[in-house]
Amino acid sequence: MTKSIEQKLFFNHKPEAVWEYLTNAELMAQWLMPNDFQPVLWHDFQFTTKAYPDLDFDGHVYCKVLEIVPYKKLVYSWKSGPGEGRISVDSIVTWTLVEKDNGTELQLVHSGFKEIANLKLYAAMTDGWMKNIQKIAVLLNDATHGAANV
Amino acid sequence: MAPQTFDAFQAISDPSRRQILKLLSKERLTINALAENFDMSRPAVSKHIKILEYAGFISIEDIGRERYCTLKQDGFNNLQEWIDFFDGFWKSKMNKLEMLLNSKSGGKK
Repeated sequence: MTKSIEQKLFFNHKPEAVWEYLTNAELMAQWLMPNDFQPVLWHDFQFTTKAYPDLDFDGHVYCKVLEIVPYKKLVYSWKSGPGEGRISVDSIVTWTLVEKDNGTELQLVHSGFKEIANLKLYAAMTDGWMKNIQKIAVLLNDATHGAANV
Repeated sequence: MAPQTFDAFQAISDPSRRQILKLLSKERLTINALAENFDMSRPAVSKHIKILEYAGFISIEDIGRERYCTLKQDGFNNLQEWIDFFDGFWKSKMNKLEMLLNSKSGGKK
């Protein structure tokens, strides 16, 4: 089972130029989604797009800047859900820029997917039920590792 | 397709359905055996079982004349679907970024 997404792109531009497209809200909107991003550590922001109810997606991606190293690295949390504060996707997006002789290599890693449905299950359960479900949790555990999270 | 509108959260929102999952966490059971644990009618129990099946929590297997219910992992874990979704999502976004940046005048000096 794949637990993360990795993609790489090369640009014939300096890291500063690529960085602009990752951290300027207006430029980000041109290729990603409308947002209220600010290049400030711990800044909470949202991407806003069309809702897909069948995908448990209310049209908002709830994010927080977790790490920011100008022209080199940007990390933010990436959460979404069906609305009313419920979260069904809890993950981390990491952008890394590496300067090369003739441009910049940009790497995207989308990872740290947490087993939210599982957590919600826990929340929905009574204490007695809790104990029984732990057996299931053991079964699921091998699929939930690898999440370095907030 | 009404049953498919039951997602994992809705499926477990009902105490009877949680009770069914609880019973199945110990062993696989026939629908009849499950029904014995409830005051409601067998069709009512069947309906709850259907919802749990659609939401991916259990699978039903016909053995002889009995229908056996077994706990399944899918209802607890549809992460792979999300990962596949985001893989395509980022591919298309990255293409867009590539087009934007490459059309930008004055590349690296």
